[in-house]
Amino acid sequence: MIQFNYVCAFFLIVLGFYTIVTKYNLVKTVIGMSIMDYGVNLLIISIGYTPGGTAPIFTKGELTQASYFVDPIPQALTLTSIVIGACVTAMSMSLVMRLHESYGTLDTREIRRLRG
Amino acid sequence: MNLANMTDYHHFPIYSVMVLFLGAFIIASTGSKPSKDPKNPAGFRAWIALCATALSLFFLGSLVKPVMLEGEIISYWMGSRAIAGGYAIGIAMEVDALSLFFALLIATAVFVSAIYSIRYMVHDECVPQYYVLYCMLAGGVLGLVLSGDIFNMFIMVEILTFAAVALTSFRTKVYGALEAAFKYLVVGCMGSTAILTGVIMLYAQYHTLNLAQLANLVPGTMNNATKLAFAFLYIGFSTKAFIVPFHPLAADAHGAAPASISVLISGVLTKSGIYGIIRLTYFLFQTMNLGSMQFMLVFIGSVSMFVCVTMALAQHDFKRLLAYHSISQIGYVLAAVGLSTSLGISAGLYHAMNHTLFKGLLFLAAGAVLHETGTTDLGKLGGLSKKMPHTTVLFLIGAFSISGVPPFNGFASKWMIYQATYQKAVESNNIGFLLVTIVALVTSTLTLASFVKVTQSVFFGQMPKEYENVKEVPFGMRLAMGILACLCIVTGLFPKTVTGVLTEPAAKAVANVGEYITAMGFKSNLPVPNVTFAQVGVWEPINWLLILCIALLALTIPAVAGKYDRVSEHGGPLGAAIEMVSGKNDQPTVDENGEVDTKYQLFYGGEKNVYSQVGGGDLFWGFKHNWRHYFDFMHNLHSGIVNDYALWAVVALALAIVYMMIVL
Repeated sequence: MIQFNYVCAFFLIVLGFYTIVTKYNLVKTVIGMSIMDYGVNLLIISIGYTPGGTAPIFTKGELTQASYFVDPIPQALTLTSIVIGACVTAMSMSLVMRLHESYGTLDTREIRRLRG
Repeated sequence: MNLANMTDYHHFPIYSVMVLFLGAFIIASTGSKPSKDPKNPAGFRAWIALCATALSLFFLGSLVKPVMLEGEIISYWMGSRAIAGGYAIGIAMEVDALSLFFALLIATAVFVSAIYSIRYMVHDECVPQYYVLYCMLAGGVLGLVLSGDIFNMFIMVEILTFAAVALTSFRTKVYGALEAAFKYLVVGCMGSTAILTGVIMLYAQYHTLNLAQLANLVPGTMNNATKLAFAFLYIGFSTKAFIVPFHPLAADAHGAAPASISVLISGVLTKSGIYGIIRLTYFLFQTMNLGSMQFMLVFIGSVSMFVCVTMALAQHDFKRLLAYHSISQIGYVLAAVGLSTSLGISAGLYHAMNHTLFKGLLFLAAGAVLHETGTTDLGKLGGLSKKMPHTTVLFLIGAFSISGVPPFNGFASKWMIYQATYQKAVESNNIGFLLVTIVALVTSTLTLASFVKVTQSVFFGQMPKEYENVKEVPFGMRLAMGILACLCIVTGLFPKTVTGVLTEPAAKAVANVGEYITAMGFKSNLPVPNVTFAQVGVWEPINWLLILCIALLALTIPAVAGKYDRVSEHGGPLGAAIEMVSGKNDQPTVDENGEVDTKYQLFYGGEKNVYSQVGGGDLFWGFKHNWRHYFDFMHNLHSGIVNDYALWAVVALALAIVYMMIVL
């Protein structure tokens, strides 16, 4: 069933790309960036998962050769990635607010003073 | 831990990154209250930033002897957690000559720009926060090039992207600053996501994040997932290097950011992308021995060169123009590095270094003009050489360097690139590489043409009335520009020393991947290559300087001595040029209606109804008229809509994936 996760992860990434490319509303662009991030997070978590594994938390002496647990590194990576994703959303939303103040619109087709 | 242990130079790479982040932390914790000194609103925070960057440069400078000259590769495991069971379990830093080369460039640019910032940033709000982000940006880029761990590289990419976006947008009142920052953030985040996807797909295949171990495992075991990862990583680092098709972001960001940050975006951020591409192609996947990969890099490099230089010709904003030139020069670096010969790599790295120096100088000079006049519009500026003589001289040094005029450094490195492409064409018996030489030459000519125009319309020509009270910029800013100008001249006059000490060890490190792997404690079977830097033909830049001097004398002596009549009888371009220099033919012709017609005059000709100090508003009016369809097409293509740029990124990613699947 883990293959289904991979398909979903890439579907989310592509959906994010699609949203950024086709939507002319700045807020929707930011939503697209978030969806893209969630796709990558799902991919990372799926890669670290082993069916039937337990949480990788052990105290000294508990850990034996027979212990079976999921890979902890991707989980650490996901945490980092989630934090970065939240920062991206916060920063881009603050930019969107300021853009709306100074341009009076959220349409990307009208926010193009810099071109050529 | 005793003092002798702490001053061991193996710790210096981590110190050099640490001081910058520590500086950012200290500045941030002092609050945001501006100081009372009107000449330095950030107060002591500016000095903290300066000290942090100076210390960082010192730590890296003291690594030159062991790493560059003695060829040691410093491997450093955080918390001494090294290898367990054949797998790297700790986070590592690995400093070979290539890393150190880029780190030195970055540290120099950051230090000089910090000197410049103190006086340049007086008119802005939020200057205390500016220094926090400045140190973060510097630390992020240094951490990226010194890291030996691919996930750490991703973290550093995110830090530097964030800092760069914030630094672009924090002057919210500047025309287009928010817009440029938003576009950069959207496409930059797509790039970062691509890097993360590539990293995690490599992890899924090989269960390690260590660069050296990946370099040991990946080649020879490529499957479709690794190829996909390669495409994602390549596009991710391309967005950081701003090469085609990501160049419009660079132009927007440079124009809106303060000049001291433009220096970092152009001289430092693009280098981090180039560094990432070199690490990826030469070390991690070792695909550069394939003709198809060489073709890809050289092709994208050549396209970047040419497209960006023509885009620069059509600009009328000083900093946007410089931004397009910056990416054009990055195209040279990428094309030379993509040749996969030791000479090509050495030439590319040499040009990367020179690019940081002369581009930094040019952006600082543009910043000086903006600081004094309040505009960067080429149509409004003019005649500033009378008011700002030092800035003019410094700008001219930068302009000569970027145009490849001997004896400045741009000539030496561009000459090496011509040599390298020619040599590659001879060795591989492939006429395509000769075309690259020609594109590089044409681009260089167009660069010179563009800088003639800029120099003429900013520093010479008629001065508008409102600049009567313009003064020379403060000493601190001139000092920063002077340092870069001196470096431009020194690296141009002693190319053999510079390549011997800096770029050739770095190029050797690129060729010798086996040592990079074994230095981290992994077993590698890669052979040690025999690297030579032999060149075809004559390589003596001093000769070319002499030829240039003779040619200049040949043109000036007859013109000055009044012997031009004899020459002009023969006509031709030389006669016309001498007439132009001596002012003989400066009288406008009168047409049949008795009106003055300046349309066909050299240099100052053009449509008379467009008022400007230069006819037709532009020195290259005729040239641009002939190319108008191309310029129109390019202008419409760079529409400024963020969706279009995102679409380019997605298309580039799709093309990269398809290409990698076919050729690898």
